Amino acid sequence: MVTTAEAIDYKGKKVEFPLEYAAENEIPDEELHEHLAKPSTERTKRLKARCRWKHASAGEFVEKGVCAGIERMRLLTEAHKASEGKPEVMRRALGLANILNKCTVVLQDDEFIIGYHAEDPNMFPLYPELAYMAVADYLITDYAPQPVEEAREIMDYWVPYSMQSKCEHYFDPEDLQRMYQVSTMEAPGFATGYNSIVPPYETVLEDGLLKRIELAEANIQMAKDKMAEMPWDATKGLAWLDKIDNWEAMILVDKAVIAWARRHARLCKIVAENFETDPKRKEELLEIADINQRVPAEPCKGLKDAFQAKWYTYLLCHAIDRYASGMAHKEDTLLWPYYQNSVIDKSFQPMTHADVVEMVEMERLKVSEHGAGKSRAYREIFPGSNDLFIISLGGTLPDGSDACNDMTDAILEATRNIRTTEPSLMFRYSKKGRSKTKELVFGCIRDGLGYPSIKHDEIGVQQMKEYGKFSTEGKGATDEEAHNWVNVLCMSPGIHGRRKTQKTRSEGGGSIFPAKIMEVTLNDGYDWSYADMQLGPKTGNAEDFNTFEKLWEAFKVQYQYAASLVIRCKDTLRYFEGKFLQMPFVSSIDDGCMELGRDACELSEQPNGWHNPITTIVAANSLVAIKKLIYDEKKYTMKQLMDALKANWDGFEEMRKDFKNAPKWGNDDEYADAIIKDFYEDIIGGEMRKITNYSGGPVLPVGQAVGLYMEIGSRTGPTPDGRYGGEAADDGGISPYMGTDTKGPTAVLRSVSRVQKNQKANLLNQRLSLPIMRSQHGFNVWHAYMDTWHDLNIDHVQFNVVSTAEMKAAQKEPEKHQDLIVRVAGFSARFVDIPTYGQNTIIARNEQEFGAEDYEFIDADL
Amino acid sequence: MTTYGEHKNFFAIPEDADDFEPGKGDFVVQVRDEKGTYWLSKPVFADQEITAEDLQLSK
Repeated sequence: MVTTAEAIDYKGKKVEFPLEYAAENEIPDEELHEHLAKPSTERTKRLKARCRWKHASAGEFVEKGVCAGIERMRLLTEAHKASEGKPEVMRRALGLANILNKCTVVLQDDEFIIGYHAEDPNMFPLYPELAYMAVADYLITDYAPQPVEEAREIMDYWVPYSMQSKCEHYFDPEDLQRMYQVSTMEAPGFATGYNSIVPPYETVLEDGLLKRIELAEANIQMAKDKMAEMPWDATKGLAWLDKIDNWEAMILVDKAVIAWARRHARLCKIVAENFETDPKRKEELLEIADINQRVPAEPCKGLKDAFQAKWYTYLLCHAIDRYASGMAHKEDTLLWPYYQNSVIDKSFQPMTHADVVEMVEMERLKVSEHGAGKSRAYREIFPGSNDLFIISLGGTLPDGSDACNDMTDAILEATRNIRTTEPSLMFRYSKKGRSKTKELVFGCIRDGLGYPSIKHDEIGVQQMKEYGKFSTEGKGATDEEAHNWVNVLCMSPGIHGRRKTQKTRSEGGGSIFPAKIMEVTLNDGYDWSYADMQLGPKTGNAEDFNTFEKLWEAFKVQYQYAASLVIRCKDTLRYFEGKFLQMPFVSSIDDGCMELGRDACELSEQPNGWHNPITTIVAANSLVAIKKLIYDEKKYTMKQLMDALKANWDGFEEMRKDFKNAPKWGNDDEYADAIIKDFYEDIIGGEMRKITNYSGGPVLPVGQAVGLYMEIGSRTGPTPDGRYGGEAADDGGISPYMGTDTKGPTAVLRSVSRVQKNQKANLLNQRLSLPIMRSQHGFNVWHAYMDTWHDLNIDHVQFNVVSTAEMKAAQKEPEKHQDLIVRVAGFSARFVDIPTYGQNTIIARNEQEFGAEDYEFIDADL
Repeated sequence: MTTYGEHKNFFAIPEDADDFEPGKGDFVVQVRDEKGTYWLSKPVFADQEITAEDLQLSK
């Protein structure tokens, strides 16, 4: 039977923890999560049962039949060959238009939101124009596009035109080889093709694309009139040429998008009138046809319009024009006007709140079917999922009031009902947020989804304001616009709305790995344990550091080398994106690009520079152990430590115990926390902040570990924190190392709250006691914990609420645990799809029990 | 030789459509697999020879 929490004495009374749902008393711990999914309708039950999941595990697709399609790369190449000599932005527009005009369109039975990004719902597209290495990877697998010979020809054709070739030329091959090890630095975006974006959905839904075409046409006319003014002034007049090209490209793609959507409408009508035998579905198909005939050409009038227009925009920005991870948008705010029309006023597409919940469930299943054409390395770093999809909710509106609404609630209800790993949610936590919505947030967390992850609303707003100050265009976020932020990927805030959004990952994204940097810092920049090569500058051997400060300075040099190189790679890519990888569709839906006649890749109105230090705590705990045992207590020499590390602690067991037992992060330990606070603020954030990126702003750390904490752990030798070589690293930007936070949940909060300066976002993973969370006191405990977290000014937190018993049972009989979901790092995954190495890192996380002193600290009302 | 235009699954594009061209149509097929059924539509021309793959799909 399910385990319940033990009673405690608290504030002079005995507090019991009976389960919130008494029926769970009859369910064994080992199978609890198999009883929690409750699709709200028969349709969503059917859709979930037949969902074409595209999860990957250890780089392999879990389900049979998933493979790359050839259609996109074929049509893009055909257009590129035919458009030689035209302006580059027009070539990009013709490429997208050719794809949309000639691609196969897909309609699946039972679905209401329609559209897919490949020629078959079991396929996904590839992107040879980005990185030929990422395509080459597929050609040698069972997932190769067919015919593979044609795919190879296409890849070869793109080699000289690809972003990879254009950028590589400007880097020292030795530096690139170091990056390709993916051990101190992530490989450059121009070699991986990995990308992210925040599409300005708002203009598509509010204006419709016909309006955007009108705007571009008017701008072209205005430009031509200006150019015709006499006397001619070349210093001003020639600037219109590029702008006219950009506006013409926008018009071309918007017309193609409208025609593509209407092809979907026509397919629905053809099926309804010629093939469908079920009168109810026939009627529905005609309704879908009507919607797709109108949107995204026209403004959305009801909620069904909005879901469909949003879906097309998502497919275009994340999969068809260019690959981009994420699903960054503020869904509750974006859809609220249409919810009002359809549910409250019933003025268009009338429906009930329950109907909205079904729509959200259907959208979530569409996302779950999405196939991402990522390279093997990027499939490996999101084990158990198909890609990163993070939707933002809650927070505050531009006037500072609570942004939660009934659409927020519908999204949360649907999320809890349908129980899928994708898309993940992020909730902007403000004390102004209404309790009703917070209870729904808690419901998802308590049920073990691992999301919503929680971000501090006010910190996000302040960051948007701060970054806005650096705008080279003088158009940074206003105080009101600063409230319009979403997570770009797992963690980083960025503006959403009609303009100023992040358009490419070269602004923010990519990783750097302090654990491995620590290892090479001890070895004069050399990697002895994995690549057997020089990975950084020569900064001396550990034995030569006769003070802790010398070690500190050497690390700083290694870190600055890596940070500057990775950002230089991103900015070089950004430079070429603006010249050869323009995104005229995105430009057409961005008010800034439309007004100024500039491309979305090139224009930056709101700086949003960030980069991810991942595995920071292994490095930080190592510094603490070294300082204590070598420099302060002088119990060991650096020579002894280096001998022990080179032996992977073999023969040095007692010494390892000392290093393992040295103070660790997350225990409210003043000695450890003082060193680690300085490490974060002076080096991790401070050194990064010295860099100025493409947009003219500083770069700040966003610690979001994804699955890289496993990969980097496997490539990092033994470390002075007592870790063996090859063991996983820490699983969040600022999370305690697994199993080492032993002083309770509030001690973790006190440690983490010490880091406040030079950070943009840091992921904090916590595993909370399942019996407490599922008890009648669960919400009150969580709510009090969250308010304390908020008061401590911590940026982020997310939770696993799942028992060790159930995870171990799932390891033994995975087929019986298909609905067991866990939070890995910045994403959730189906537990059974995660490789055992990764599963064990989740099990090893300390399940935080609340003691009386914790309840007192958070002032829980029990 | 069978052309798309002769096939029952060929549907001429209406003249008022954005992508209308004389002779152009949608070739629509239903596919069934272990997950369920779905419809595919691709643009073709009536006088174009139908591919063996499309012929198979349309059965």
